[in-house]
Amino acid sequence: MSEKCLHICHLYYDILNLYGDNGNIRTLEKRLNWRGIDSKVSRVTFGPVPEDNDYDIIFIGGGQDFEQEILVKDLFEYKADWLKGEIEKGTVILAICGGYQMLGKYYEAADGTRVDFLGGINVYTTAGDKRMIGNFVYEYTGVSGEQFSIVGFENHNGQTWLGDGVEPMGTIIKGFGNNGDDKTEGARYKNVFATYSHGPLLPKNARLADELLSIAYERKYNEKLTELEHDMEDAAHDDIIKQLG
Amino acid sequence: MSARSTFAVWAGKITTKILKLTGSGGTSLPGKVVLKICPDILAHLAKDMKVICVTGTNGKTTTCHVIRDMIEASGKTVFCNDAGANMLGGVVSAFVSAAGMNGKVKTDYALLECDEAALKSIVEHFGKLDVTAVVTNVFRDQLDRYGEVLTTVNKIRAGLKQLPEVKLVLNADCSLTSSLSDLPHKELYYFGVNAPLYEGTSKDISDAVYCLHCKTKYKYHYHTFGHLGGFYCDNCGYKRTEPQVALSKVIEWKDGSEVVEMDVFGNQVKAEVMLPGGYNLYNALAATAIGHLIGLADNDIVSVLGGLSTHFGRMEEVMLGDSKLHLVLVKNPAGFNEVVQFLIQQRPAGTIVFGLNDNYADGKDISWIYDVEFERLTEAASNAEHFYFTGKRAYDMQLRLKYADFNTEKFHVEKDYKTLITMLKQQGQETFLVLSYTCMLEFRDKLAEFVPLAKYSKE
Repeated sequence: MSEKCLHICHLYYDILNLYGDNGNIRTLEKRLNWRGIDSKVSRVTFGPVPEDNDYDIIFIGGGQDFEQEILVKDLFEYKADWLKGEIEKGTVILAICGGYQMLGKYYEAADGTRVDFLGGINVYTTAGDKRMIGNFVYEYTGVSGEQFSIVGFENHNGQTWLGDGVEPMGTIIKGFGNNGDDKTEGARYKNVFATYSHGPLLPKNARLADELLSIAYERKYNEKLTELEHDMEDAAHDDIIKQLG
Repeated sequence: MSARSTFAVWAGKITTKILKLTGSGGTSLPGKVVLKICPDILAHLAKDMKVICVTGTNGKTTTCHVIRDMIEASGKTVFCNDAGANMLGGVVSAFVSAAGMNGKVKTDYALLECDEAALKSIVEHFGKLDVTAVVTNVFRDQLDRYGEVLTTVNKIRAGLKQLPEVKLVLNADCSLTSSLSDLPHKELYYFGVNAPLYEGTSKDISDAVYCLHCKTKYKYHYHTFGHLGGFYCDNCGYKRTEPQVALSKVIEWKDGSEVVEMDVFGNQVKAEVMLPGGYNLYNALAATAIGHLIGLADNDIVSVLGGLSTHFGRMEEVMLGDSKLHLVLVKNPAGFNEVVQFLIQQRPAGTIVFGLNDNYADGKDISWIYDVEFERLTEAASNAEHFYFTGKRAYDMQLRLKYADFNTEKFHVEKDYKTLITMLKQQGQETFLVLSYTCMLEFRDKLAEFVPLAKYSKE
C-alpha cells in the first residue's frame, strides 16, 4: 500500500447499524485499497470524540427508534459541537435514514412534541402517517454536473423537509424520497450527503462511492483519484432498475 | 363438540379433498373455510389436548421435528402443522385433518409451529388448556414486515399474555426472548449454552445491543453467536438466567453432528446431536427441555437426539446424476451466518450456488446480506471451482461476494433455473446451494423435473 491513507469514521457504529450499514464502510475501504490507497476505519460510539479524529469521511447509518433517545443524549453531551464543526469545514459526511434525520434540526411527532436534533443542516422531519417503503430510484446530479441514477431501498415514516441553503441529493424517479410529496430525495450541504437510501447504498452505486472518495482524497492530497472499474456494481444497479421497469 | 364445529370440520375436510383432487397445494384454505363457519373452532378441537406451541425467529421447524420425535418416543401421539403453514389458517387446517368425522382429534398432543405475529390469533382460545410455549430466539428477520426487532418481541408477548397458565420454555441466552419471563405463567424453564460455541464469530453484529429495560449497553461473559450468550446489564441488573437445560461443552464437531455434554435438570448427559451446525444445538436443547418435561428419561432423550435423520436442519441432499447437491435454506443474517460457519467446516471444493429473491416471503429488503459475514468464508471457499448466483437479486449477491474478496473470475450469474440445473448435472461435482425461501421453492420445482423429490416442508 502507498503511504496515502484516508481515515473513515463510522459514527455510532454499534447503534446505527440496522440494515447492513457495514456494506458502505466496506465499499469505501475496498475501493480505496483496490486503488492502492490505504484506509483506516475508526469506530466511534458513546462518549467523548477520540483524540485521533482527523477524519476524512464520516459515515452515519440508520437505527431503531428504541435507541434514538439514548443517542440524542450522547449527541448533545459529546458530539454536537465537533460534528457541526466537521460539517462546516467541509469534511465528507454520508448520513443515511436515521443518521440523516439526526443531522437535521428536529423531529416532530404526530402530537406536536419535538425532539431536538443536531441542527447541522437546515432540514426537519415530521411524523408521517404511512410507511414509505420499497426499492426506489432517484436522479443524482454530481459535483461536476454529471447526472446518474441511484438505486436503493427506503423504509421510513418520517417526512423530511428541506430549508434554505440545502439542496436535495436528487429527484425521485420511482418511490417516495424525502416526504412522498415534493419529489425530492435526500439533502446536500457543503460535503454532506444525506439520503433515505438505507443500508448498503454504496456497493451498487459505485459512482457515488467514488464521488465521496474523490472529494475526500482531493481535499487531503490535492490530486485526483484514479479511475476504477465498476462493472459488477453497475450490473447490480442496472438489473434492479430493469426490474422496477 | 357442537354441531356447528363438527359441521365446520366436515367443510374443512371436503375443501381439503377438493384441493387434492384439483392438485392445488394450498394448505391454508381449508382453515379459512372452517374459521368462516366456526370462528372459535380451535377452542372446540383442542379442548382435551395438550398443546405445545413453538415460536421465535429461527429454528421453529427443526425444534418441532425434534419435539415430535421426543413425544413419539414417550409413547404418546401427536400431530403437527406443516412447516410454513404456521399462521392461523394453517394451524386450523392441521387440526381439521387430524380430527375424525365426529369432529374430535384423537392424538394426545397438538404440536404447533407458530409464526410470531400469528401466535396471538392461534392461542386466543387456549387460555384454559395445558399449553407449553417454546420461544427459540428473536433475531432480525424480514424487517420490512415486522419493523424493529422489539416489535417481534411484542407480538410474541401479545400472544403469550393470553395464557396465564402457560408453561414457558425460553432461550436463556437471548436477552429479547428471556424478557418474556415477566409474563404470567404457571411454570418457567430455560435452555441455553454455558460457554462460547466457537472462535471467530463477530461480536459486533448484534440485534440487541442495549438493555431493553434501561437502555444501557449489555456486557457479556461470553458470546455464542449474534446477540446470544452470557449477557448482563451493569445498570439495572437484568441478566441471563441459569438454564435448567444447558449445553456445557461441545466435545467434538463432526460432519453433520456434534458430540456434546449437557446438564439436563441437574443430570450430566452426553449425547450426539444428529443435526449440523451450532445453531441447531439450541433447537436440540429446546426440544430436550420438552422431552424432560413430558417425562422422558435422559437415556431416551439421548437416543432421540442420536436418531434424528440427517435431512433435518433445513438441509437436504439430492443426487442429480453424479452431482451431490446440498440444499440449504437461508432467511436472515443470523441463520446465514450459521450456514457460513457450516461451509467453513466443509471447505467446499466443488460449486457453491447462492440464490436470493426479494419476494414478500424472503423479505423485500435485501440489505441484510451485508450483515452476513462472508469475509469469514473467503479463505475456506477459495478451493471452490465455481460460484453461481441465481434468483431475482443474483447480481446483488454477486456484488456482495466481490466486496468479500472472493475470486470474481469464478463468478457466474445464471437466473434461469433449468439452465443452472442442467449445468450442475453436467459438472458432476459436490454442490452447495444456499437459497432464500422463495428461491428454494422455485428451484426445487424445477429440480423436480430432473429428479424425484419429496414434498417440500421447509427443512
